[in-house]
Amino acid sequence: MDPRPEATHAHATPPAHLGARVLVIGGGHAGIEAALAAARLGVQVALVTMRADRIGEMSCNPAIGGLGKGQLVREIDALGGAMGLAADATGIQFKVLGTGKGVAAQGPRCQSDRHLYREHVTALVRAQPGLEVLESTVDGLLVSERGGAPAVVGVRLGDGRELRGSAVVITTGTFLRAVMHTGESQSTGGRIGEGTSGGISADLARLGLALGRLKTGTPPRLAHDSIDWDLTQAQPGDERPQPFSFATQREQFPRLRQVLCHLTHTTPRTHELIRANIHRAPMYAGRIQGVGPRYCPSVEDKVMRFADKEQHPVFLEPEGLTTEVVYVNGVSTSLPAEVQHEFLRTIPGLERARFLREGYAVEYDFVLPSQLDRTFATRAVAGLFLAGQINGTSGYEEAGAQGLIAGANAALWTLGRAPLVLARDEAYIGVLVDDLVVAQPTEPYRMFTSRAEYRLLLRSDNADKRLVPKAAELGLAGKEAVERLERRLARQAGALALLRALRSSAHGGKTLEEVLRRPEIELAGLVAATPELAALELSHDELASLECDVKYAGYVARELEQVARLRRQETLEIPRDLDYSQLRGLANEARARLSAVRPRTLGQAARIAGVRPPDVALLAIHVQRARGNA
Amino acid sequence: MRASVSTIAAIATPPGGGRRAVIRLSGPRALELGRETCRFAAENALSRRGAWRGRFHDGVGEQPVLALAMPGPRSFTGEDVLELHLVGSPPLVAAALARLVALGAELARPGEFTRRAFESGRIDLSRAEGVLALVEAESDSERRAAAELCFGGLGKRLEALRESLLDLRVLCEASLDFDEADTGHVPLEELVERGERVRAALEEALGWERRRTRRGGAPRIVLAGAPNAGKSTLFNALTGSRAIVSDVAGTTRDALVAPWVVAGVPCELVDTAGLSADFASGPDGHAQRFAKAEHEAADLVLRVCDAREAPPEHLPPRELLVRARCDLAQGPVGGPGVAVSAVTGSGLAELERAVAQALWLQPASGVARELGERHVAALEHARERLDEALALARARGPLDLVAEALRAALERLDEIEGHASPEDLLDRIFARFCIGK
Repeated sequence: MDPRPEATHAHATPPAHLGARVLVIGGGHAGIEAALAAARLGVQVALVTMRADRIGEMSCNPAIGGLGKGQLVREIDALGGAMGLAADATGIQFKVLGTGKGVAAQGPRCQSDRHLYREHVTALVRAQPGLEVLESTVDGLLVSERGGAPAVVGVRLGDGRELRGSAVVITTGTFLRAVMHTGESQSTGGRIGEGTSGGISADLARLGLALGRLKTGTPPRLAHDSIDWDLTQAQPGDERPQPFSFATQREQFPRLRQVLCHLTHTTPRTHELIRANIHRAPMYAGRIQGVGPRYCPSVEDKVMRFADKEQHPVFLEPEGLTTEVVYVNGVSTSLPAEVQHEFLRTIPGLERARFLREGYAVEYDFVLPSQLDRTFATRAVAGLFLAGQINGTSGYEEAGAQGLIAGANAALWTLGRAPLVLARDEAYIGVLVDDLVVAQPTEPYRMFTSRAEYRLLLRSDNADKRLVPKAAELGLAGKEAVERLERRLARQAGALALLRALRSSAHGGKTLEEVLRRPEIELAGLVAATPELAALELSHDELASLECDVKYAGYVARELEQVARLRRQETLEIPRDLDYSQLRGLANEARARLSAVRPRTLGQAARIAGVRPPDVALLAIHVQRARGNA
Repeated sequence: MRASVSTIAAIATPPGGGRRAVIRLSGPRALELGRETCRFAAENALSRRGAWRGRFHDGVGEQPVLALAMPGPRSFTGEDVLELHLVGSPPLVAAALARLVALGAELARPGEFTRRAFESGRIDLSRAEGVLALVEAESDSERRAAAELCFGGLGKRLEALRESLLDLRVLCEASLDFDEADTGHVPLEELVERGERVRAALEEALGWERRRTRRGGAPRIVLAGAPNAGKSTLFNALTGSRAIVSDVAGTTRDALVAPWVVAGVPCELVDTAGLSADFASGPDGHAQRFAKAEHEAADLVLRVCDAREAPPEHLPPRELLVRARCDLAQGPVGGPGVAVSAVTGSGLAELERAVAQALWLQPASGVARELGERHVAALEHARERLDEALALARARGPLDLVAEALRAALERLDEIEGHASPEDLLDRIFARFCIGK
């Protein structure tokens, strides 16, 4: 709610001889946004990646956005990021999820052409002034002492060379001590055909950062011509596709041919086969220690945990326009290859399916994110920033959002400028950051709209209104973005003035604004019936946003009241060095959780699981007393 | 937080003579003060959790004492606690307390033990309030009401209510955050139906809480019945008043109120005009309307009918049947109700007992009443939001707004006790639904 608590960085800015250069390790979705954001803020950036031809790879499903995630993409876009533009340019099916559930619940989603997405993102990275790409592994971190505390001064590359930098952003995803599992077989590596980075993991542990272990999985890929499509149900995209990016030219959208996805389902026979072979699944055989996500369970988990369900949906998603690869969404698995072959054939339409690749599970190290502050800087090491799956998250969108925040803050810190901290009532990204720094993840973190208590404020339609001014002020967004926003707001304001001025005789002389507040009335209908409104020729986006502003006004006002009420709690800062063991009266569980997480504000403390209201009250009394004495 | 250095002491039993009096001490010096003031037979007295017999020296004389030692942090306040059980003689107890204070104990302020317990995380807010009320309870029945609050009466009710509201929210949130294929789409109708059940439970809790609060004031007991059923005669007999009585039906027009002590609890007894279709207009009509209003506002209605007539077949809740003028009946009065005679006084004591039982007479202290008001306000706000959610759902309004209203409703309940973090919500969703592609 107020960036003040961290208005000064925890560490002093780096000495001049290191140069203003930010090193970004990793070319995934976090690394890309980190490198682009830092470069846009005017520092030199080197993006170091193991495979320059894999920048922007979609390691899992070829889709961007979704419920809770589409909002993140729109926010990344409003902050000048690449994800929304790349998705718009390479999308082969667009669909807004959650329509009919209310505007605040809606999340845009698209299927992308995996290959074109990677090409598009790589082109954006290559075109960014001040950003160079270096193909190399990274063996470790270069760390020196500065003012008694460790500070990162660069990285050691695979060939022994040293690369110096003022700040380092690590975005190595699932590649830290990664192990892939398929049935009884294991191999090291974070993605099929690629290696692992063990040196960084060891260095992080040496620097005193606590690591944990997580698991994620991916389903099999099948050949397009081996699927009996007639036995599946076609799933088209939206009739009027909507882009992610506020900058995408509506006239030239969508750019690519739009295709269908297909739906089928598992059968009792599938479940039987899985149950018969469950002892061969690494999770059940105890070979995987990491914890997998509950929201994206493997098919073996679904079958075991929800024994009463007779079928689970299986979505067949094309990986692109020119590839024969089909992604089988819904049956993520790490069962042995022969079991995968067998059970997949029990699914309607897949009886003759040819495998291009079996599903596998990846187990990897992550850094417990409570060791970061809200800029994603590590508290232990000056100049070291972490973003993406290394922080225990899942998803391209969550990674991209973190990358943007970490990259921007690495640059701002290098330049000695005030950091970029978003609050929970400003952006889903704010919720993401705030959740992470107090979290003790037991599964990869993903965004849900229910994580945002101010869901009605944080809609995908108003991401530009919420974030473009801030981005422009920092230098993350350009003049065009501001002008585009101002144009939109001016047109909406004009339309709102009309809604307030015009009265409807069909509704007892009420103003159109009052009429529109009724649940059954839609703005499109009013526009069609009102020549003055139709003359404004509002775009789809403008109509949607205006409609929402009017319909949700009362509820939004209430949320704003709540924001104001909690603002004090959110800004009440807890001293960094508070010794919870000396704080008399805390419940034991709360004491342990608070000591581990070390929340920055009272608001954060209140959101920690296991910390009860009396503990927060006690903490509040203490913090206020400590202030009074100071 | 600084460790509280003081050791507090207070008489923990109600003032006045009792068989036994208890002085409670809490703080770092509690056990030390015990050793300074008492002589025990056992050498290891007060060295651990336990009870020891000995003699208490108040500087002038000595008296027998049973000392209960509860070293912190496993004590009520989280501090070292000592209870001295003494003979219930007010002068002796006062002398003992004076001795402890002379040796350095501080007199505890009202509720300070509870505050320390709360601060040490030993109890949550709702229980702290219950304990406070318990401490300040002024009579036995008050203490029972407070004990109900303290030992989970309210807590249990709220917990059940909160659970069902949280469940409702989980359904709603799951529909928002996941595909229909995942969650097994919950139709809006089911949401409304479940919501209405929660609302009924909320209403019931509200009624319970309101009644509990009202018992903090004098319960209002209203006499009702056909004209000339003998209400005023009974009124006079019970309260010692002198309402005008006559054999003319409709003699009583204005409601008369007089204090009536039931089972030691002061109540208000109200005499009203008899209800009859014959008095629908004029001043009698007014009297009839007033009477009806009184009946509705009553904690208990005494339905008076003549013992010689057949009793009504059906009695609404909150009503007690009184068969008046049983002295005029031929033989013993059979059937339901309490048979009384204002003339002979027969059955009046029985009536008093029945009223006490029906009203569950437990007037709450000032503190408990104030708490009750807070709870009532929170429950009312929660109901308001739930109504909003239901109205939206019935009108097939946007689900995100329904969810918002449910969130607000739950937040109101959480003002009383506990809180549900987004993480709690997700845990529940994952426990119930098979989520994820």
